[in-house]
Amino acid sequence: MGIRIALAGNPNCGKTTLFNALTGSNQFVGNWPGVTVEYKEGKYKSNKEVTIVDLPGIYSLSPYTLEEVVSRNYLIDQKPEAIINVIDGTNLERNLYLTTQVVELGIPVVIAINMMDVVEKNGDKINTAKLSEEIGVPVVEISALKNRGLKEIVDCAIKAAREADPQSPKHRFAGSVEHAFAHIEELCLHDMTDENVQRWYAIKLFERDEKIQEKLGLSQDVIAHINKDIESCEKELDDDAESIITGERYNYIGTIINGCVKKAAKGMTTSDKIDQVVTNRWLALPIFAIVMYLVYYISVTTVGGWATDWANDGVFGDGWHLFAIGTSAYTEDADEYAGNQLIVDGYDAYVEENGKKPTGDFEYPVEDEETLEVTYETASLEDYKEAKSYMDSTEEPDPADYGIWIPGVPVFVESALDAAHCNDVVKSLILDGIVAGVGAVLGFVPQILILFIFLAFLEACGYMARVAFIMDRIFRKFGLSGKSFIPMLIGTGCGIPGIMASRTIESDRDRKMTIMTTTFIPCGAKLPFIAMVAGAIFGGASWVAPSAYFLGIGAIIISGIMLKKTKLFAGDPAPFVMELPAYHWPTLGNVLRSMWERGWSFIKKAGTIILLSTIVIWFLTFFGMVDGSIQMLEEDQIDVSFLATVGKAFAWLFAPLGFGNWQATVASVTGLVAKENIVGTLGIIYGASGDVYATMAAAFTAASGFAFLAFNLLCAPCFAAMGAIKREMNNTKWFWTAIGYQCGFAWIVALICYQVGKVFTGEGFTFGTIFGIAGICLIVYGLVRKDKYNAK
Amino acid sequence: MMPLVVAPAGEEQMIKRIGGSEEVKRHLQELGFVPGAYVTVVNEISGNVIVNVKESRVAVDKQLAQKIFV
Repeated sequence: MGIRIALAGNPNCGKTTLFNALTGSNQFVGNWPGVTVEYKEGKYKSNKEVTIVDLPGIYSLSPYTLEEVVSRNYLIDQKPEAIINVIDGTNLERNLYLTTQVVELGIPVVIAINMMDVVEKNGDKINTAKLSEEIGVPVVEISALKNRGLKEIVDCAIKAAREADPQSPKHRFAGSVEHAFAHIEELCLHDMTDENVQRWYAIKLFERDEKIQEKLGLSQDVIAHINKDIESCEKELDDDAESIITGERYNYIGTIINGCVKKAAKGMTTSDKIDQVVTNRWLALPIFAIVMYLVYYISVTTVGGWATDWANDGVFGDGWHLFAIGTSAYTEDADEYAGNQLIVDGYDAYVEENGKKPTGDFEYPVEDEETLEVTYETASLEDYKEAKSYMDSTEEPDPADYGIWIPGVPVFVESALDAAHCNDVVKSLILDGIVAGVGAVLGFVPQILILFIFLAFLEACGYMARVAFIMDRIFRKFGLSGKSFIPMLIGTGCGIPGIMASRTIESDRDRKMTIMTTTFIPCGAKLPFIAMVAGAIFGGASWVAPSAYFLGIGAIIISGIMLKKTKLFAGDPAPFVMELPAYHWPTLGNVLRSMWERGWSFIKKAGTIILLSTIVIWFLTFFGMVDGSIQMLEEDQIDVSFLATVGKAFAWLFAPLGFGNWQATVASVTGLVAKENIVGTLGIIYGASGDVYATMAAAFTAASGFAFLAFNLLCAPCFAAMGAIKREMNNTKWFWTAIGYQCGFAWIVALICYQVGKVFTGEGFTFGTIFGIAGICLIVYGLVRKDKYNAK
Repeated sequence: MMPLVVAPAGEEQMIKRIGGSEEVKRHLQELGFVPGAYVTVVNEISGNVIVNVKESRVAVDKQLAQKIFV
């Protein structure tokens, strides 16, 4: 029969490193049923009969945090054959606190004293033989990082599991406490066969553990009876029951430690010295800023940005040069070719328009690829002659001539489909639906992986725990955690890794709040849209772009304050206490493993929703009713597509916001696939007459234009980001709550922008203004109302 | 007796009493903050403190640090 061995230990005791070392790649990572706590299970490398379960890091077996409840229930109900209690050798006293509880469970326990290499380096001595004798369980010295003692500890655990003869805890509490235990056992636990288990329940009942009272189905009478025993004991020892137990445990540990551990006299540890600098009152923020700048610079601006461009424009675009050899030469030539072509086309257009050749300088339009902004350049006849002779003598540059050209997946698939004489509908489904959808999922993966390397490193080396300490005071005010800063910063590049970065936040509430608000910050894909609105509607005003960021930051702060007062986030804000692990260099393997686990979970969990949504939007965009029959459409026929029908049906929703036309509605919907699509869609819809910007300027006023911008910046993010939200929330209800809140909030803000904006843009006070003001009042109420769920 | 917030950095102090709600007390106890234990303040930023307790470093915010008396 198989053997299950559970790893139990404090956070930061090296449990996960041990787990990885024991199981290698034979791992299953998931969630504990119904909660967001991670569940990890793996087969032991040298013996596949042995399953190793990595329990969450916990300080005790009390039922007050999710991790504790999950671990405790697993140990009591599933009864693994053995427990390896992992202990940080540099911090025996605190770690043994959990040990004193684990040995009471009636399951064979072996103790692994981890980080022995560090203990020895510090010059400390631990008498493991004596320790083993004192506690009554085998003790093995290991170092998970250095692969020391791993075989011994598992062999020891397997032996203990086979013998199935759990130790009886050697520790006895004070006389009156033991007396109370005996009473409790007699009263309601006498039919349990296992004495150890009986004792464990008695201790828990003595601590007035409500979860255990419930589990045993005790009647009120019995509970009252037990209470009497506890109270008399409390009176005798002049302390509350839980403190009595805690105090006794620590006293007991103290006596063990005194006999077994010899500490070398020492001053400050290296970690203390680093902390004096890194968390120093004056240096903490500057150092934090530098670290964040580096993370941002590498994972968003440079390497990560290149990776995303490569994945989106190369692998899932036209194609790319192997190792980027030849790319710059090709770009240069292609730009030159395009420039000359513009001049020649401009000349031809002039001839066509005026019926004669230009006699002097003439103007020609230049369109910006990203924002579709059209500017006019002037060319002389001389320029034209040069351009013409260039065009006559030069072929359009072919990227394949400049290096090893690898065509993008869409190009490759298209040629394959053409070769197979594939039906147009199928071809479009595969190219515009499936390949585009897969591209949307995979396109962000390289950047996410790069970011995760950084996060894994910062977490593993111990800095991340300090970040929370440094930033917490500021963020706590908006109901966020100090660690929320990182998701928001990353979110300026791309919301998806931003949302995924919220993983590092321990508190469930803070994490959810961060996930809900991170995408308010304008991400990279929203920038072309912001530029388009600024250029087309506001004549290129320079205040538009910064205002988008202020809007985002404002939305986060306001949402934080409003949400933390709602029932959703009710409960006492947890006071901030956390252990700061000692600084150490993480191993490359652990960093890469953590990166891969998170990246893979994004692909798996977020991938499906992204792919499905993209296909749905593809169908709506490329199909429509033409002359009474459903037909596939060309790109510029979007006005008869089903999407346009949907847009017309829902346009009324946006009428109060000033852009109740189907065009804006449709653009907002395609923005859900990817925010940069808004620009492309508007380009198609408004481009029929030639000048996109002029048509758009006519369709929007300043107030409705800004409302349109505000709505699209704040509403539900793209499907890829929604997929990330779904993955991180790990709960359908919370996922819809987040999306619903974002859309609702965006709607109200856009309403205010339009209705109140109208007053200032000369349209005066109208009936609608009342609603705008009502919107403001609603938000102000949300901000200042009494916090009835978190009464201080 | 003084709250941990005002304790001078770098000196070892004995915890005399811990106030606050049951839940907070419990969590502090699990982390090793029990009366009689020795703590040393390593660093302090606007009331938040980093302390060494039982060989580990723990960050405690101002609100809590005011309830630990040394």
